[in-house]
Amino acid sequence: MDHLETGRLGESLAEQYFRGKGWTILGRNVRVKFGELDLVALDEGELVIVEVRTRSIGKVLPAEETVGPRKLKVLVRSGRIYVEKCRWAGPWRIDLLGINLDPGGSPELVHLPDITAGRIDA
Amino acid sequence: MGPVLGVTLKGIEAIAIDVEVEITGGLFAIAVVGLPDAAVKEARERVRAALRANGIHLRGRIALNLAPADLPKVGSLLDLPMAVGLAMETGAVSLTKPALFLGELAMDGRLRGTKGAVPAALLARKMGVPLYLPPENACEVSLVKGVNAFAVPDLGALLGHLAGECALPPVLGKGLDLDDPPADPDLCDIKGQAAAKRALEIAAAGHHNLLLVGSPGSGKTMLARALRGILPPLTDEERLETLLVRSTLGLRTRPDRTRPYRIVHHTASTIALCGGGSALKPGEISLAHRGVLFLDEFAEFHRDLLEALRQPLEDGTITVSRASGSVTYPARVLLVCACNPCPCGYWGDPVETCRCPAHVLEKYRNRLSGPILDRIDLHVSVPRLTPEELVCLEGQHGPSSEEIRRKVSLAREIQQERWKKEGFHSNAEIPERLVRTGIRLSRDVRPFMVKAARGMRLSGRGISRVLKVARTVADLRESPEVAVEDVCEALAYRKGGVTGDSA
Repeated sequence: MDHLETGRLGESLAEQYFRGKGWTILGRNVRVKFGELDLVALDEGELVIVEVRTRSIGKVLPAEETVGPRKLKVLVRSGRIYVEKCRWAGPWRIDLLGINLDPGGSPELVHLPDITAGRIDA
Repeated sequence: MGPVLGVTLKGIEAIAIDVEVEITGGLFAIAVVGLPDAAVKEARERVRAALRANGIHLRGRIALNLAPADLPKVGSLLDLPMAVGLAMETGAVSLTKPALFLGELAMDGRLRGTKGAVPAALLARKMGVPLYLPPENACEVSLVKGVNAFAVPDLGALLGHLAGECALPPVLGKGLDLDDPPADPDLCDIKGQAAAKRALEIAAAGHHNLLLVGSPGSGKTMLARALRGILPPLTDEERLETLLVRSTLGLRTRPDRTRPYRIVHHTASTIALCGGGSALKPGEISLAHRGVLFLDEFAEFHRDLLEALRQPLEDGTITVSRASGSVTYPARVLLVCACNPCPCGYWGDPVETCRCPAHVLEKYRNRLSGPILDRIDLHVSVPRLTPEELVCLEGQHGPSSEEIRRKVSLAREIQQERWKKEGFHSNAEIPERLVRTGIRLSRDVRPFMVKAARGMRLSGRGISRVLKVARTVADLRESPEVAVEDVCEALAYRKGGVTGDSA
């Protein structure tokens, strides 16, 4: 399984996971200028942009720790462009879903809501 | 004015802060405006966590405005009103009548004690609004009469209370613990020194400043410490004043009427003593308000520090002015100083001989004989006791601290009754305009004063000070009139003799 397949598997798992939580999935792999949004969903009136990180087990860092400040900045910028494009006026946030695959067992999912925590000023 | 109010402190005064919240769509962000300091800015992390612990999730762009916008907001005491304002905006609670909120939030929503509870209580009373505060501050606020206060253990309980689900118990005015702590050391445990003990009694009764001069080991420090045990109790009004100063620093206060007693080491800085810093904090002299400020080894203090005491000793207040503003703190202290008569310590000692050369002695005295000495009414020599006295005086050390305290308290009550309509408490505070007219003298005192003033070359202030002390001496024997012997005793404590120069 190459890294692209791994990614697609992860995004499918993510979609399942959030549907299970009762969210409405608005789109997968949404392309915007300068980037791509893995998953866009609606959680009780709040628009959520989810960055899905999938890693096969054995890598040094768990998936949820691979988003650094630079990636976060890109996510915020892409998120703004998306929100503007579809004229969303309500609140929105950026979540992270880390998926650590285990060849033998079931994958481990770590959901971190609101990774900007209000620290990035608009 | 909005319904959610907080406070910020300016000196000992609390100023109402209007907390306004706006939430719009957008990426989650909290912006705090209205000149917040670092502690207020960081409040957003605490507030957010505390709200989440109570099931309120913040979303969207949030702007928090702290009005008036041009007044700097300081400290963590605005956490609670910010949380309530946010809870209200998200629709979790509604508040129709204005209320004052005070407190620092823990991440799990519990409330931590803060400074400024007493000023806030006074403000709440003035505005006629309820006050919600941390349980830690309930004790001090219970001493403020007529304030509608509630102790809030955590944010959840407050939200429940505001929603009318479960009422918080009000903070009730508590009676003071009237048990006086035992005097330590007790005056009857101190051998000899009858003159010094009498001076302590007069100082405690009339709130007069006191200077103790004596060679090393003669018992100056012990005597000064014994003063604590004979001070009259604080009145309600005085208690509130001392409470206010302590509350601005967030210091806890025992629920009794003991007067403050502050000992300052001679390495203290002017700011530590007089107050200041960028936060304009009160200094030791304000913490000692209505009580004792004890400067041991008086002659070792920096000269500019002692000079800084001149104005507050006269006025009973101190105004701290810095670039960040200016505030006035109360500073009505009973100044007690102790020092040696010379650098070697044995000048005038009955046994040891002084080894100080004349010029050293002069330099030492110049340091002492500043205008500060003129503001000290009672100058007392504390001689070393001879070996015979130390050994033989077993069991006859005069009255106990408790007896003297009773006498002193009675004398203070007489003063308070007499000066009530003038608005002050003790003889030391008699303003100049009342010294000549307000003190009743017996007929032969005036001619005697004229003679004494001429003989001792007393200044105008000297005469006033003598009359004030004489008034206290007369109060101690419950006499409505000041007699010649009262004046005689007061004159005996004038400067001169002890520190070697004439008045």
